[in-house]
Amino acid sequence: MGKEIIPAAEKSLNLIRGRLCDPSYVFRPLSASSDSNYSKLKFIVSTSITEGCNNSILLLGPRGSGKAAVLDLVAGDLLEEFPDSVSLIRLNGLLHSDDNCAFKEIARQLCMEHHLLFSKMASLDENSQFIVAMLRECGLAHKTIIFVLDEFDMFAQGKQRLLYSLLDAMQSVTSQAVVIGISSRLDADQLLEKRVRSRFSHRKILFLPPSREEFDGLLEHLLSLPADSSFPNGYVSRFNEKIKNITSDTRFKDILRTLFNANSTVNSLLKFIFRAVSLMNLESGLLSLENFKAALSSMQRQPKLEAVRDCSILELYLLVCMRRLEVKEQSAYNIISVMKEYKTIHDSFQTSDYYAQNVCLRAFEHLRERQVICYTENRGQSQTGEYRPMKLLISASELHQGMRSHACCPAILLKLLDH
Amino acid sequence: MATTTPRNKTFKSPTKTPTANNIYRKSYQSPSLTPQTPQTITPLRRSARHVSRRIDLGNDPIDVLEIESKEEMNLIRKRERAPPRKQSVDDVSEKSKKPQSLKTPTKKTKLDSEVSFSPVSPNRTEKRKNKSEEVKKTKTKTKTKKRVYYNRVEFDETEFEIGDDVYVKRREDANSDEEDPEIEDCKICFKSGGSDVMLECDDCLGGFHLKCLKPPLKDVPEGDWICQFCEVNKSGGGQSQTLVVPKPPEGKKLARTMREKLLSSDLWAARIEKLWKEVGDGVYWIRVRWYMIPEETVSGRQPHNLKRELYLTNDFADIEMDCVLRHCFVKCPKEFSKASNDGDDVFLCEYEYDVHWHSFKRLAELVDGDSDSDQEWNGRKEEEEIDDSDEEVEVEEDEESVVRGDSKGKRGLTSVKGGANSRKGRFFGLEKVGAKQIPEHVRCHKQTELEKAKATLLLATRPKSLPCRNREMEEITAFIKGSISDDQCLGRCMYIHGVPGTGKTISVLSVMKNLKAEVEAGNVNPYCFVEINGLKLASPENIYSVIYEALSGHRVGWKKALHSLNERFAEGKKIGKEDDKPCILLIDELDLLVTRNQSVLYNILDWPTKPNSKLIVLGIANTMDLPEKLLPRISSRMGIQRLCFGPYNHTQLQEIISTRLNGIDAFEKTAIEFASRKVAAISGDARRALEICRRAAEVADHRLKTNKTAKSQLVIMGDVEAAIQEMFQAPHIQVMKSVSKLSKIFLTAMVHELYKTGMAETTFDRVATTVSSICLTNGEAFPGWDILLKIGCDLGECRIILCEPGEKHRLQKLQLNFPSDDVAFALKENKDLPWLANYL
Repeated sequence: MGKEIIPAAEKSLNLIRGRLCDPSYVFRPLSASSDSNYSKLKFIVSTSITEGCNNSILLLGPRGSGKAAVLDLVAGDLLEEFPDSVSLIRLNGLLHSDDNCAFKEIARQLCMEHHLLFSKMASLDENSQFIVAMLRECGLAHKTIIFVLDEFDMFAQGKQRLLYSLLDAMQSVTSQAVVIGISSRLDADQLLEKRVRSRFSHRKILFLPPSREEFDGLLEHLLSLPADSSFPNGYVSRFNEKIKNITSDTRFKDILRTLFNANSTVNSLLKFIFRAVSLMNLESGLLSLENFKAALSSMQRQPKLEAVRDCSILELYLLVCMRRLEVKEQSAYNIISVMKEYKTIHDSFQTSDYYAQNVCLRAFEHLRERQVICYTENRGQSQTGEYRPMKLLISASELHQGMRSHACCPAILLKLLDH
Repeated sequence: MATTTPRNKTFKSPTKTPTANNIYRKSYQSPSLTPQTPQTITPLRRSARHVSRRIDLGNDPIDVLEIESKEEMNLIRKRERAPPRKQSVDDVSEKSKKPQSLKTPTKKTKLDSEVSFSPVSPNRTEKRKNKSEEVKKTKTKTKTKKRVYYNRVEFDETEFEIGDDVYVKRREDANSDEEDPEIEDCKICFKSGGSDVMLECDDCLGGFHLKCLKPPLKDVPEGDWICQFCEVNKSGGGQSQTLVVPKPPEGKKLARTMREKLLSSDLWAARIEKLWKEVGDGVYWIRVRWYMIPEETVSGRQPHNLKRELYLTNDFADIEMDCVLRHCFVKCPKEFSKASNDGDDVFLCEYEYDVHWHSFKRLAELVDGDSDSDQEWNGRKEEEEIDDSDEEVEVEEDEESVVRGDSKGKRGLTSVKGGANSRKGRFFGLEKVGAKQIPEHVRCHKQTELEKAKATLLLATRPKSLPCRNREMEEITAFIKGSISDDQCLGRCMYIHGVPGTGKTISVLSVMKNLKAEVEAGNVNPYCFVEINGLKLASPENIYSVIYEALSGHRVGWKKALHSLNERFAEGKKIGKEDDKPCILLIDELDLLVTRNQSVLYNILDWPTKPNSKLIVLGIANTMDLPEKLLPRISSRMGIQRLCFGPYNHTQLQEIISTRLNGIDAFEKTAIEFASRKVAAISGDARRALEICRRAAEVADHRLKTNKTAKSQLVIMGDVEAAIQEMFQAPHIQVMKSVSKLSKIFLTAMVHELYKTGMAETTFDRVATTVSSICLTNGEAFPGWDILLKIGCDLGECRIILCEPGEKHRLQKLQLNFPSDDVAFALKENKDLPWLANYL
């Protein structure tokens, strides 16, 4: 069938996708400067290893800003630098927020790390004593244990026994441990109980989105193919030339700006590029501006608008009726009252679209399933079906916009919506 | 061994395995978990030192025969051909060496034949069960004579005490040097001592008369000194030939001191662990723990090893007193540096060496300074030792644990013990944790002032003194003394409260330490002390079992423990062997023990009111009004003894920091004052103040390391300021400044909405309408409702705003999490969106 796929294209596609999915590749160039979070974190952790002291650090920042990725980079480098004296314990707040489970998991990982036998049957008490004993032994052997607590805010709930035990052990026993909490909640340290907070060392590292220049550098770092590789020579130069053309294009810059207006984290950029690269034309083997445009539109979808656009005529009628009821300041309405409104519209305008009640009920159900409307919460749950109060989940302007772009919306409906 | 037939030697499958363990073992037999067996293919050099081990050994008649027939063989050769470490063979061979290395061969061999051997591994579980029985059996069979234990023995006109370090003769070269000079000879004139001062070279450890040196020295120089020979060797190359090391005069045999012999491994050093006399023959024995020189470890001498460094091993042996030569002095680094002119027999020991796993570990006492946390760890064991009148049992237990350690390596995964984390195994296998090599950066590194400051500011380092808490400590001391020194000790309660970081726990603990010293001095009646942290208990009820375990040493369920404790405190029945000492109970974080019906607190506070309880309860918590929150019947029992630890004020904080930093020139005075004033204004938490200073030191360190040209090496105000910023300032302003453009507009719309309606809470519907109108008037593209919803939810996840889940869409309720002024401050001077200021 006509043109054939260039083998190099597929290879370059895989290469770039591989890069995008490898956080250490992405964040390496961002960590080069001495002022970066990478070097700050590394300084703190490596001094606590060499000087044998305890520290607790919080990594804060919005989702997708590379907290865990930078930590992984640091941990990897430290494991290389001090292969014998660092052990890493990882916990996730979503999985281990329960004390019992968290202690068990720490004990398990410590056992794995030191080739000890682990007993599943051990109780919370035994596990916590084991952890304290291990902290001490490791401290005496100049070994640092790094506890990584992902979703730190989840640990800071309830009695916070885990955090208390860890931090208390760190301040009373000759241990060398670093507790690193990762959280997207900026007020994570305010969640700590005061006796836990007092023991926490309150190092905070804030992850902010990179500057525009850094983004430009990152784009080039991610997209350009290496010159000294197995790709055909001409292809690499053509590919890189094309990338340069695209990135210097003002239209591309507009696309990027729209993207960053909504979400300026590294992660959103990665997602965006991944989509764009996946749309690459394998026959030419080159990226084009259209790929990026399509990627942007696929990132910024408007599901509610699309839902309205796909509604049937009857469903539109019902939505308009509900809207009209709201305008009439009838804040609570149920199927019965909507049906009444529907009937009055039909009576006064003699529309051709009049359906039986059971059809309408089906339409209601349909709308509810797509979360265009919903039942308002009522505690009693006594009322069932048609008597339960309902609410419209889309705003008037969305409804308006959706109906305008609808393929066959009756003109009268638009008029009805306005009055 | 003639009495008992050798049992079947099934080393692989233990005959008695509890089913629970069996299941567990199966499920965990993944290859990644396999514990490494220690590499003992090359026989341990020190194994020759196990002179006698009267423990139940697995025996093999053939082995014994073989070894007995070759008894006269050279020791060294025997060691070389020792088979890959197999417990039975190895130990038997060791035993057979005993006649050689000791002077009483006949008796020992006779003893040998009496020893009842039983294989170690196969029936270990069984043995554990009826240990006492076993012990008795071995006692009657092996030791028909009784032993008498001493704490101090005078032998050859020298006094030896438990804990002393001694030189021990090594048999093979006992006749190589007959005379053992106490004082070494000068390396130049080859005359010993006299009245002249001798100087020691820090490199070759040779001694030199001050006057023999070229040029002669008048005084001992400060700091390190290296002799001319070593200096030349070090600089190497061309001039190395110019200096000839003087040769000793003809005929004079170069006498070696014991120190030289030890360091060239012709002698051994050991620490005495036990002293006893066999009643039958009156021979004095000691149980020693060997020291090792760096050359004898697997990793050999490391560049960071000091010349006089030794390692303490976990290798024990029983030897006769005859082998002991004389005292030597092994010291920890701190004492070693002080003991620079204490003579030639001073050695340094900082690390412990595990002979089975070939790993190093710091000695615990050294790190803790005066071993106050050791007490916490060994406390129970010490008590046992004191209480135990029958020391023999102890010995057997010890030896068994040694054997267990040995055999464990071989048995690896098939060990019938529970996991390392279950208490049944007494955290079994912790000895495996250890550094294969002592990291060089720890030893060689010379600490800068800043690093010293950081180390001393650590929360974990215990301060030598506790300033500013004298009044409180006196009060606690008076309270406890008043309670326990009465003839009939009445139970009492004290409630200590104060905000975190005001030194409550440490004050009580240091009071207890002082009291312990007084008990030892005999001024105060003995008592037992139980420390419990409410937050470390799995559940409040568990406190009963913890108390019971601390008092009796047995672990039982909490219901049974409660029953026994009730008997103990309310009715005056004794638990086990425990005598009638008063009991001091320290409960930290007391508020955690409050249950729904408050029965735990009621019980604990009810006991002291009983006439025979002799229980003193010290409760520590943060809240001042905890007693008022409790049921009246509990708060009345808590009594009126309250002690408040107020927050520190800035002068106190300053004093705390400066006492810690005493002698370290790292901080500007104003910097300390600034930090303490700031903390005193906020919380008065000493931990926080120390952390701020430590962080400031880190910041300064980072600054100085990245910027070499800085003049001042001190921590300045700016560093403290940065540390305080990081610690106290919420990061939301910075985040708000850097969020995406639409998020900023969103926040502005929320503030605008807030101003307009005056209501804190708003809905997404309203905010979105405002955003769209703002966008319209300022020429920004409105992104659409769904994207806006996503932006709102992202902000909600950072907790800049509080919001309901996004599925509620139009009805979602939103609220700013920070004051609107913060938002206004963050967004007012924005270059991209200058018009935002109009809405703020």
